[in-house]
Amino acid sequence: MTDTRLLHTVGVRALEWLWAHRDGFRLESGVDPEIGFLERFKPVGELAQICAVLFREGVAGSRQAELARGLLDHAWRETLDGGRMLVRGQRIEPLSPIPGEVYLPFRELGHRMPDLERYVLLNHRLASSTACETKPNRRLGLSAFQRRFGLTPRPQEHEVLPSTWLARTPEPWTVEGHIAYDVTHTVFHLTRWGEDPDGLPPRLADYLAAWLPVWLDDWRDLRRWDLLGELLVVDACLPRPTLDEAAWTAFAGAQQPDGAVPAVGDLPAVDDPQDLFDVVYHPTLVAAFASTLATSRSLSALARAS
Amino acid sequence: MKQSGASALLQGAVQDLASGVASALRGGGRTSREDLHATVRSTSDLDLAAARVLGADLLLPAVLDGTAPTGPEVDLARRAFDAYPPPVTAAPTVAWSHWALGHTLRRVGAPSGPVPEPGPEPDASWLTGAPWPSLTHHLAVLAPLALPGQDCAVARLARGRTLDVARGFVRAIRRRDWYQAAGAGRWLAVLPDVPHTLGLPSGLDFVELMGGGDARVLLQVRAARLIGSGVSV
Repeated sequence: MTDTRLLHTVGVRALEWLWAHRDGFRLESGVDPEIGFLERFKPVGELAQICAVLFREGVAGSRQAELARGLLDHAWRETLDGGRMLVRGQRIEPLSPIPGEVYLPFRELGHRMPDLERYVLLNHRLASSTACETKPNRRLGLSAFQRRFGLTPRPQEHEVLPSTWLARTPEPWTVEGHIAYDVTHTVFHLTRWGEDPDGLPPRLADYLAAWLPVWLDDWRDLRRWDLLGELLVVDACLPRPTLDEAAWTAFAGAQQPDGAVPAVGDLPAVDDPQDLFDVVYHPTLVAAFASTLATSRSLSALARAS
Repeated sequence: MKQSGASALLQGAVQDLASGVASALRGGGRTSREDLHATVRSTSDLDLAAARVLGADLLLPAVLDGTAPTGPEVDLARRAFDAYPPPVTAAPTVAWSHWALGHTLRRVGAPSGPVPEPGPEPDASWLTGAPWPSLTHHLAVLAPLALPGQDCAVARLARGRTLDVARGFVRAIRRRDWYQAAGAGRWLAVLPDVPHTLGLPSGLDFVELMGGGDARVLLQVRAARLIGSGVSV
């Protein structure tokens, strides 16, 4: 099991980087609608979700908590203009679930944007929303979103789960990168982003306990840090997390002195700050997420042992 | 880097011999040893070295179909056993491989002449507590010890670590180390409680499809299938 200090430090440094580069979370108002105004909403939604996890777990130091609060305030007030940009995005793509998904963690933290909620409610009633052809783990995420929003999921999560890759517990030697991301997201949705490890059915928890160590070993050696970080989150969502020392040590070693985590291999030589932000923000957010959950689980284990 | 001539020749001889054994294991029922007879009749030093590399698996067709090996099979195995005694400083896997050859010669018996004394089992404590990747690596090298009912320290240790070997099998496939995957697959064929989700039969098919061009891989895959089908030894 990895030293709790190492787990914690990765998250502290990641959050420092995110705070220092918070202007990278920006929308492009003049973007061609065909390219998609909503494209740049994704980082904001991920930031909000992970800061919400950090608050929930309560393992952040005062500096971390302060940064997370500052990042959320910045995203809501500056990036989303107090939520008005969400409505604008929704009016560009009225049927898109993305504005609602970005809005949800802010809503759970107490922000309100009634105009946007009308779109969410209407879309939930549309047959088209349910009929839209999506990958099963994405559909699971949409159903989880509806439940968190207080709506009746359509379809219910238990109806979607059997068609995910993970629920079929296939041959573990067939996992490729895109399959591994499908697995991580299925686990995120089932466990409510690590809040409820019991949301993972025992059969799937057993499957992951058996084979996750191999995948961690593999993607650590391949230096696929973004994916390794997500798999470390999955580990922290299991009933008995391994907090794999080799994987965590390598992951911490890949983190730059300023807290940035490369997606793959070394940090690319990119001159444009926004371009660099675009390739680094996600693995760095994942590092904050994995660190928060792993630190929480590690402290729980220590508390039980004492 | 280009292989040295001697190394390439030895590898070629190992492939020929392994191919003969793999052919003998073909089918799944009783083995046919015609192809093996053609390869074991060679008598050069290279063939002797190749026989030592293959080790106890040279006699695998006889072991698996429960019949006495032929004179040329035993003769080659016997001479390989005598020609390459492991030095005191030998790696544990070398010592175990040599012991396995001697043990198997004694097990199948010789049509004529004295049976070698394999000596006491080498030490196996170096494998105790090995992390699953290195455990699988070493066990794959010692795949000739993976036989139903085999009772030796390595086999006993492996029986307590099925999940670790299964993880090693997955790891080897993902790293395209087909030889290690095939050896681990053969161990899994004799180990208890292999996780159903591993998909071992399909995994062996995949290893054969991807790596079966190497006769040593083919030999281990076919051995695993025969053992997994329940051949009595």
